[in-house]
Amino acid sequence: MNTFLRKNLLLLLTLAVLAGFLAAAGRNMETSDFVITLLRGFSVGALTFLVASGFSLIFGLLDVLNLAHGTLFMIGAYAGWTVYVRPDTFIDLVTPLALLVSGFTLADAWRHLAVRISMTGRGVAAWIGFGVAALLLAYILPRYPIAMWNVDDYAQSPVAYSLAASQGQVTPPPAATFTEIAPGVAVLGLLISSAFIAFGLAWLRSGGQAGRPLTWRSFTRVAMVLLVGLGALIFNDALTAWLFALNSNWLFAIAVAVSVATGVALGGLMEVTLIRPLYVRPIYQLMLTLGLSVIGTELVRAIWGRPEFTMPKPELFAGTGAGCPATTFGDWLTHHCSTVILFEGRVRVYNEIFIPLVGLVVLISIWILLKRSRLGMIIRAGVQDRQMVEALGINVRRVFTQVFALGVGLAALGGVLAAPSIGLSNTMGESFLLNALIALAIGGLTSYPGAALGSLLVGLLQQFIIKYGQIGIPIPFTEILFKPTPPIVPASTVLLMVIVLLIMPNGLLGKKE
Amino acid sequence: MTANLSPSLWRRWRGLLITLAAALLLPFVVGLLEGQPPTAVLANSAGVSKFVQGLAIEVFIFALYALSYDLIFGITGLLSFGHAMFFAVGAYLTGALIKSFGLPLWQTLIWVTFASVLQALLFSVVLPRVKGITFALVTLGMASVFHLMIMSRELGEFTGADVGLQGMIKPDFLNPATERLRLYYVALALLVTMYYLFKRFVDSPTGRVCVAIRENEGRALMLGYNTFRFKLAALLLSSFAAALAGALYAIYQPIISPHIASLGFTVTALLIILIGGVGTLQGALVGALVYRLLDFGLRRYMGESASFVNGLIYVLIVIFLPYGIVGTWRMKSLQLRQGWAKIGDAIPWKPNDGAAR
Repeated sequence: MNTFLRKNLLLLLTLAVLAGFLAAAGRNMETSDFVITLLRGFSVGALTFLVASGFSLIFGLLDVLNLAHGTLFMIGAYAGWTVYVRPDTFIDLVTPLALLVSGFTLADAWRHLAVRISMTGRGVAAWIGFGVAALLLAYILPRYPIAMWNVDDYAQSPVAYSLAASQGQVTPPPAATFTEIAPGVAVLGLLISSAFIAFGLAWLRSGGQAGRPLTWRSFTRVAMVLLVGLGALIFNDALTAWLFALNSNWLFAIAVAVSVATGVALGGLMEVTLIRPLYVRPIYQLMLTLGLSVIGTELVRAIWGRPEFTMPKPELFAGTGAGCPATTFGDWLTHHCSTVILFEGRVRVYNEIFIPLVGLVVLISIWILLKRSRLGMIIRAGVQDRQMVEALGINVRRVFTQVFALGVGLAALGGVLAAPSIGLSNTMGESFLLNALIALAIGGLTSYPGAALGSLLVGLLQQFIIKYGQIGIPIPFTEILFKPTPPIVPASTVLLMVIVLLIMPNGLLGKKE
Repeated sequence: MTANLSPSLWRRWRGLLITLAAALLLPFVVGLLEGQPPTAVLANSAGVSKFVQGLAIEVFIFALYALSYDLIFGITGLLSFGHAMFFAVGAYLTGALIKSFGLPLWQTLIWVTFASVLQALLFSVVLPRVKGITFALVTLGMASVFHLMIMSRELGEFTGADVGLQGMIKPDFLNPATERLRLYYVALALLVTMYYLFKRFVDSPTGRVCVAIRENEGRALMLGYNTFRFKLAALLLSSFAAALAGALYAIYQPIISPHIASLGFTVTALLIILIGGVGTLQGALVGALVYRLLDFGLRRYMGESASFVNGLIYVLIVIFLPYGIVGTWRMKSLQLRQGWAKIGDAIPWKPNDGAAR
């Protein structure tokens, strides 16, 4: 007990101060206001935590300040929206993506082959292969039918589709069909170009090392990918109709899964291709991630347009009919109300209860992953001393890729969860990245519990100050009612950060270097 | 001119001198290309030359600003995310003092110098406590508080809040509309003077200690240097240069927009020196030129997709120019020279003396 106290003194002190602060804050407002503000703080804190935890894992292990993290958060949101509101586009995209990936699933076989065919001038041959693949792709991809929205035409813009979906008018848009190109040509062309690129890369990189011989594993992998791709092509219409008719709860679950998968894939790709060569000159990582974040934002603008729109909430949290707002848990279970009465205040279930719950689940599961799994052990050891882990013969490179993918996946999860609550906009990433940075600085940059505590503090502080901006703070012994203006909201968290850092340069829970 | 300088000195400064000569002649050359006689250029008549001068003044401002950032980040190794505050204080102080208090320019500049010293001291207060990325975050915090102060409505009378400070009466002899050529030369002179000063600073014993702090602060401490003082010196000089750049910005731009105090503007400085080459000083000049012209060219010719192409170019620069333009050039030029020397050695016949070395 004594050692526990000594070890966690700071955490307990912070929680005590927090409790005192909350009690003081609660004295001047109604109970219902207090509860709602508290829950909103938890909600913002949970979203911030999803960004911050990934950022902190990446920074702790890889020493990369990933400034594109906010943009990836946003891309997660938009990817989730696409699956949720336009499943037809999603199904159309599955086939070409799967076919393009198929070549890379045979990487072992290519490497094996590349060592066997060792001829002079293979660099030239590989580049010719890339050129052929690029030509094929340039011919096929613009002609490949993908059902899209039209950013310039309001009736077909994402905004209009979102609006229609939120009113429950699900009319599947006309399906895109193969008109300019024969399906067989498209499939074969994509397969060939993918194989060319993958083999060319293996050829360029083969340094006389014998690759592993062909295994059943790689065959099953390629068979799975092809099965998914071709299945999505053949049963395209049936799948689209099924997804459009699907219960929105399940569709939302699929959207979350796809969005996380997108994040994981993007993160892994980014680490392997772009971040990896930069470990020797860390400062240029800043420039790279900045450039990537600009590119990502512009791509999102070009594809989904500039106007903001919201993603409709799944049925489970969208009921408004009879019996709503629910007053008891049983009521809510039968009616699936969007709001419930809690301490005489209306609380939005999705925003203020569901998001914090998901945040808590993620917090605990990542905690278990870090504490109880082999990967987690390597991550914790790597954060402490990377060179030592390398010296012990652990493949740190692969762990780096996994951690980067995990971090970006968490950000994407945050994005898709935030989409129904705060809506989708081109700037949603920046504010959350800044929040996450502040939260991490408060909690300790490489500390996982620190990320959670910092996010919670930032969320609560922001929401309470916003609330006090509406009702005003009576200053003791005077008649003045002080109302914090909106600019004070970001300033308050920044000030908290500066104060904490000046007292404790490593953050509240950060380890001393 | 060469005769008076010793050869090594000439080799050392020739790049700067040639650039300086080109910059001095630039307005007239552009005027002649357009068909404007030099007298018309001197009289500040409208034309391409005047426009190019304006663009060049912006480049000079960016270059001075990036130069000041290079001193604390590239030379001394202090990563600061609050550098935009140094610039913005200079700009807003100049604007507010001239507009709201009607001070003449020279008094304003004295106040700007004073303020620049104060803010360097403010940053240095936290120096002993926080290091590395934490210092960056604390400075970011200070700068954001300043940014919010500028944007707040309470001070709007002096700062123009979120619209920006406008309607400042420009000093007659430096008016960007009527006396642009003079402003151009003044900005150029300021930049060259500051560059020379920075170069001397970096080459001086003090500057060497700053480089040592960047490379290994613990060792510098152990050798008996009070590293705090050297960091403070770098901060002071850097803050002064940035504030001067801000003052120049206030004189040149019709509106002082509040974004110059934001994190984005610090990132601009970082990008410029990353493009040019970290810790090279010349890199800041080259980077500012590339940055401004890229921005201008892309906005003009690419329209909507300008930012996208910009981001793409940054990524390409990171991949293909691993140490910035100047840094990579220096590395490669050494390789080139060594390559030539190797070829020279391979030739059995020597022009000077046949004896083997």
